[in-house]
Formats: sequence, structure tokens, C-alpha cells
Amino acid sequence: MPTLTYNDMTFAVEPRGDRWDISYALPNGANAIAGAGLLAGLPEGEATVRALALIKTVFPVGIRCVGPDVSHPNTIGDLKIIGPDVTHPNFIYWDKDSVSCPKEL
Amino acid sequence: MKINGSVALVTGGGNGIGEAVVKHLARQGAKVAVVDMVQKNIDRVVKDIKEAGGEALGIQANVTSEADTARYIKGTIEAFGQLNIAVSCAGIIRDGMMLSLDKETGKVSKKLGLDKWQAVIDTNLTGTFLCMRDAAEAMVNGGWEGLLVPISSVNKIGQVGQINYSSAKVADALMPKIIVGEFLMRGIRNIRCVAVAPGYTATPMLTGMNQDALKAILEDVHLGRLVAPEEIASLIGYCVENEAINATTIEITGGLCYPKGIAK
Repeated sequence: MPTLTYNDMTFAVEPRGDRWDISYALPNGANAIAGAGLLAGLPEGEATVRALALIKTVFPVGIRCVGPDVSHPNTIGDLKIIGPDVTHPNFIYWDKDSVSCPKEL
Repeated sequence: MKINGSVALVTGGGNGIGEAVVKHLARQGAKVAVVDMVQKNIDRVVKDIKEAGGEALGIQANVTSEADTARYIKGTIEAFGQLNIAVSCAGIIRDGMMLSLDKETGKVSKKLGLDKWQAVIDTNLTGTFLCMRDAAEAMVNGGWEGLLVPISSVNKIGQVGQINYSSAKVADALMPKIIVGEFLMRGIRNIRCVAVAPGYTATPMLTGMNQDALKAILEDVHLGRLVAPEEIASLIGYCVENEAINATTIEITGGLCYPKGIAK
């Protein structure tokens, strides 16, 4: 039974008939099924390679940066002026001008 | 199109109507991708399908994300080699009146927040659009026979307290007409689109609600009970296999009526 480690997760690729099940260990020690009855008819070596590719698709690694709204730039010639992403839940509208917020010493 | 041997993906497949659809299609011999936000629910549904001898893949994803949509479509095709059925069940509610008034002054004391509006539109409309669009793209490019199923709601007619939800669901109900019309214009003949608009359904959200309120709801349902998620799943299965059903939205409500007895 091949095991794969990816993103600090351990996956097992187990045969079931002519198909393969992919399971992974949960932090509490229990096992969860990522996929059942996959990759029909493939030999172990090929199934393992395909399973790893599938795992990388299903369990992506990375961070998502949400900040400037790069989809809607204001352009001046070739210059792109990028504003904040106002649709992001962390975006806070600031509706006071500088006059209403005098500098405090 | 036969369910047996086909490949289906269901967003919101980790509970409620989505779970029933996934399990129904798997029982009929489809290979299924369970797409949901909650990994725990995905794990449970995939385990159930495995124990029943079925074929399933779990993919955690946020349906409002274009990148996640591309990822769950790609994962489904990597696992099963094709895609034939896409059911967009993922949905949320954030109910509230557009305006609330102060009882003493009669002036507006509260407005429905943009966060409540946007979250529902993002999930129930944009999420459905992304799923339908990218599933259709895969089906066209793969040359596979397909069915797209947006999930609307009987509240598409306009439900007070649900300006966000009703707005999204009426838009979802329009999708089959537009999508199939565009397919005809483009010569795409291998893909159909049928929306399903459930009425009050026995999902955990409704069965767990105040029982007196539930009883009041059921007084207006001719069937006299909530629609079972499995009945909705069965309708979708029927739509898969009957290719004459196309470019329409089918209501499944048990006969939901207005209080004076006029069917909605």
C-alpha cells in the first residue's frame, strides 16, 4: 500500500478491486477518505503518480493575498492605478476626511 | 443520458439537498465529486458512498472563488476522466428586512447590511454562475454529453425578508433559458440546462426550526409535509435521463399555496 506525504499530510493509496481509494490521516489520528473507487484499471506505480497529482489539485498549498483590486484598474495611458478591493470582507470604509481627524499630540 | 457510468459534481454536496443528490447519483452508478466548504461533511459523505460501493472524490472549495471553481472542475476530470452532470446546490441564507423602523419615531433604525446582501449574492448567484460556466467549458472542450443544474427556490417569486436570497434565486431560475439559448446560437447541442426550484425541504435547517413555525408553514403545503431531499434528488436523476427536459425551471414544492389557497 503506497503512502505519500504532501503538505505535512500523509495519504495512503489502497487498492479496491481494480480501483484505488485514497485516504489521509486527520490531526486527531482518525482516517478520512479523500477519494473512493478512483483510477480504474491502473497498475500501482501509475496509480500512485496519478493519485499524487490529484492530491495536489484537491489539497492546494499556498496563501491567497487579498488587497488591491487588480481586476479593475484605472488606466492613464499605460499607467494602471489600482485601488483597494472593496468587496473583501476585511475592507473597512474610512468615511472621515483629514479635517475631521485632527492630529493629536 | 444514462446516470450509470456518468460523472457528476455537486457543490454543497456535504449536506442537505446536495448530499441527497450526490448519494442518489452514486447509487445509480455515477462517479461523483463532493464539493463543499466543510471538510468534515465531505469526509462523511465520501465515506458513506465508499461503504455503499460507490466511487467518489471529495474537494473542499469555496464556490465564490474563481480559482477554487477551476480547481474542483480540474480535480473531477483528473479523477474520473470526464464531466457530465454539474449540480450547484451550495447556498446560504442571511435573512433580514431591507429596512427596520424604530417603533417610537417611525424612522429607519437599521438597514440590511451590504455584507448580508453580498454574501448571499456571491454564494447563491456568482457561485452558481461560476459552476455552470466552468462545467460547460469542460463539457464543450471535452465533447461530453452534459446536464447543468442550477438550484433555484420557490422563493424566486419574492419572499419578504429575503431580498438577497430571492434576487439570487430568480436569477438562477433564468439561467436555463439563457444558457440553452446561447448553446443553440453557438451550435452546442451536447449540453442541456435544467434548474430545479425546491419548496420547503426537510434539511437540518428547517427540521431544527421552531416546531410551531414549521407547523404554520406546512398549513400552506398541499402535501402536508416538507419535501424530502431525496425527492429532489430523484427529480434531478429523472432530468438527467430524460433529454426532452431542457431550458426550463422545475418547481418541486409539494403544492405550496398562499394562505387563501392559491398555488404559488
